[in-house]
Amino acid sequence: MFFSTIILAAEDMGPNPIAPENKELLWGAGSFLVFLFVMRVFLVPKVKKGMDARYGVIREGHETAQATRSSAQGDVAAYEASLAEVRSEAAARIDKARQTLDTERQAKMAQAAERIASKRAEADKAIEAARAAARGEVAAAVGSVTARATQLVLGKSPDANVVKRAVDSTMSGGRS
Amino acid sequence: MEALATIARIAAEAGDAATPADLKNTAAAASAGYAYGLAAIGPGIGIGIIFGKAIESMARQPEAAGMVRTTMFLGVAFTEALALIGFVAFILLKFA
Amino acid sequence: MNVTTLLAFEFPPINVLLRWQDVAPTINKVVLIGIAAVLIGTGIFLAAARKDPKVAPKGARNLAEVIIEFIEKQIIMQTMGSSGLAWTPFLLSIFIFIYLCNVPGVIPFIQMPATARMGIPAFMALMVWVVYNATGIKHQGPVGYFKSVLFPPGVPKALYILVTPIELISTFIVRPFSLAVRLFANMLAGHLLLVIFALLSEALFQARDRILIPVGVLPFAVLLFLTGFEVLVAFLQAYIFTTLTAVYINMASHAEH
Repeated sequence: MFFSTIILAAEDMGPNPIAPENKELLWGAGSFLVFLFVMRVFLVPKVKKGMDARYGVIREGHETAQATRSSAQGDVAAYEASLAEVRSEAAARIDKARQTLDTERQAKMAQAAERIASKRAEADKAIEAARAAARGEVAAAVGSVTARATQLVLGKSPDANVVKRAVDSTMSGGRS
Repeated sequence: MEALATIARIAAEAGDAATPADLKNTAAAASAGYAYGLAAIGPGIGIGIIFGKAIESMARQPEAAGMVRTTMFLGVAFTEALALIGFVAFILLKFA
Repeated sequence: MNVTTLLAFEFPPINVLLRWQDVAPTINKVVLIGIAAVLIGTGIFLAAARKDPKVAPKGARNLAEVIIEFIEKQIIMQTMGSSGLAWTPFLLSIFIFIYLCNVPGVIPFIQMPATARMGIPAFMALMVWVVYNATGIKHQGPVGYFKSVLFPPGVPKALYILVTPIELISTFIVRPFSLAVRLFANMLAGHLLLVIFALLSEALFQARDRILIPVGVLPFAVLLFLTGFEVLVAFLQAYIFTTLTAVYINMASHAEH
């Protein structure tokens, strides 16, 4: 008994249920040490190497897939950039066309307004002239009437300047 | 009832014929039962507490479940050792 | 007439349960199971190492890789971190050997866990004891190792009178003892439970009173349940032994306590 000093075994009852038996201990130790040696030196490193190699292949595959994906993403980005460029160009053209249209329209509108304004000014001038002529006629008629009336009342012909002033002041006072 | 009577008769006969070795064996068997029964109380409660707390913390933080499980098994192993020493005492008293 | 013979139920002496006839003067059942465990473990890994590692693993290679990954992810990474990955072959061998010694306890017609005898657990615990102490001495030097074990830093000086004997006993005596006893007692207890329920159901099935025969279904159901439970225990004990080994080695190789 290996540990027989710890637990006293009964002789005729066979092995003690607790104490380790020498042969079990030594055979177990020997077989485990052989197992440990074989695993440590040959088997585990080999299996691990295979696992690492396969994982390496898988990781490589992942990386290639990643690279492909990123390049595809770059392509998509370039396409989108060119699309945006074209789009902005089209927008610029449309803006330009709209601007030229706007300026032309404004120019035409300004021309028309000018024409209208000149015509209105002409008409205004004609009206003013006609009014001035009418006033002159009225003033002359009133002056002659006034001079005649004054001659009839006073018996003597009044000064033409005095008559004209009086008529002017009357007409402008009446208007105001 | 008959069986009980038989048992009583057998026990009486055994008591009459008891040698010191028989008495020792009887005492050893009885105390073996007590040894294991008493040794199982504390670790039973302890293992219950460990598992309860572990489940609580796993439910609270499921992302830490692996760590909690390992630590839980360690705690269970240490607590259980006491009950197992009781079991060994039982074997020693009963059979050795 | 004996009390137990009322049921024709005789519990055999424990040594009948734990021993076979010796095959040779130095070889018995437990020895054979131990050797078979080594041969099976070696065979699985030999078959695994022979297969082409490039293709998707199946069969023996798949089994071997699953075990290796279990050891690395569930035991080493959880207890030692990635610095402990060099211990994979050692812990892997311990795990496989103990598991293959445990599992015959539930294999029909063998039904004897080799670890239910003290020999193999005692050797394994002793070896682990030697390994973690040697690791500690190698990593911290003999003086540094014993200093960090016996005088853990961060303890008030007055408490060393209490702490040092406790650490001495727990590190150098209780650890290997509890490792061995935990494995051994778990497997022996499971083995005895299976024996008790198997004998009880046999006795009830063969009872002279016909009324007792259907009652035998109850212990037989318990027997089936316990067999399933023992499958779990066989795995769990190997796992706990390996995890504790990893923890002890990790504690010894790092100075902080």
